[in-house]
Amino acid sequence: MFLKKIFSQDNKEQKVIEGIRRHIKLLCTVCDTFKTAFENHDLKLMREVFDIEREGDSIRREIISDIYQGAFLPYIRPDLCVFVELVDRVFDLIEDTAFRYLDVEIPEEIKGECCRVAFLNTRISEMLLITFEAMLKGDDLREKTLAVRIYEKKIDDIKFVLIKNVHKIPISDFWQGKSLSELISGLTAISDIIEDASDHLQIINVSMR
Amino acid sequence: MKLQEFMTTKIELVDAEAYLYDAIEKMVDRRIRSLVVRFPGKNVHSYGVITARDIVFKVLAKGGNPKNIRISDVASKPLACIDKDADFREAAKIMEDTNIARIFVCEEEKIVGVVSLIDIMDAALIMRARGEDVS
Repeated sequence: MFLKKIFSQDNKEQKVIEGIRRHIKLLCTVCDTFKTAFENHDLKLMREVFDIEREGDSIRREIISDIYQGAFLPYIRPDLCVFVELVDRVFDLIEDTAFRYLDVEIPEEIKGECCRVAFLNTRISEMLLITFEAMLKGDDLREKTLAVRIYEKKIDDIKFVLIKNVHKIPISDFWQGKSLSELISGLTAISDIIEDASDHLQIINVSMR
Repeated sequence: MKLQEFMTTKIELVDAEAYLYDAIEKMVDRRIRSLVVRFPGKNVHSYGVITARDIVFKVLAKGGNPKNIRISDVASKPLACIDKDADFREAAKIMEDTNIARIFVCEEEKIVGVVSLIDIMDAALIMRARGEDVS
């Protein structure tokens, strides 16, 4: 509510809010691009993840600079910056995971579970956008953050199955094994950071009351 | 929301002719409350299910020895199955009507997942958070 009141009065705040919205929407796009590329084994599309990550970087720089040029009261600025940095960490992690994907052949035994995680990552990123929009409207975020936690828990459950299954796969080359392990770690850690970002939105929301 | 979005794909199997104690060990080790029981045959109708509830009420509470009882004597058959493209409301209705706590998700005679009451609750909560109609 507080955010809504502020940004309706000042262009600087409006610009920051619009920037954060673009940043999270781009996060949904990158998750969806990753998922589609993974499902269809489309290497060209997977490389687009790198371009989207660069675009995300530039939006992040813009937002942080706008914040420190005077948008919002000083006490709220660090929290907003932490949120933006958390979203940016997701971009970085997706980029690393996409890079690993290009580097390694995914064994059939774990392909299905990996696809499910990629799909759930798109859903949890959409939920982060919904949470952000709800905060702007001044709605209670409890239900939204719970939905994020549910998605995170589901991905965590799949992670344990993946780890168990990957132990059964013979690895002939150390670097292939390392890349595969890092791909699984990256893919399943995306939701952890989105959960942190969603919790941070809740902190921002509460601190502004 | 379709079932395949929130089903659990981790399914553990036991043979119908194994002893109940084997099933108990598997449940404890894997921290799960049900196992799919494999009877002779290759399609979905040759599977059954055994739950912690079956073991407690049908055997342990009656003083039965799980080391002497075959899983097939306690397991329920056939499995309650639903298509993976079905909606979570359909699953909830079947579970309510038949008084079961989990339903198996099938695709072309193959079990691809399981949906429990907690998964149904998760799905409903996510839909609420998304502003979609849950009823």
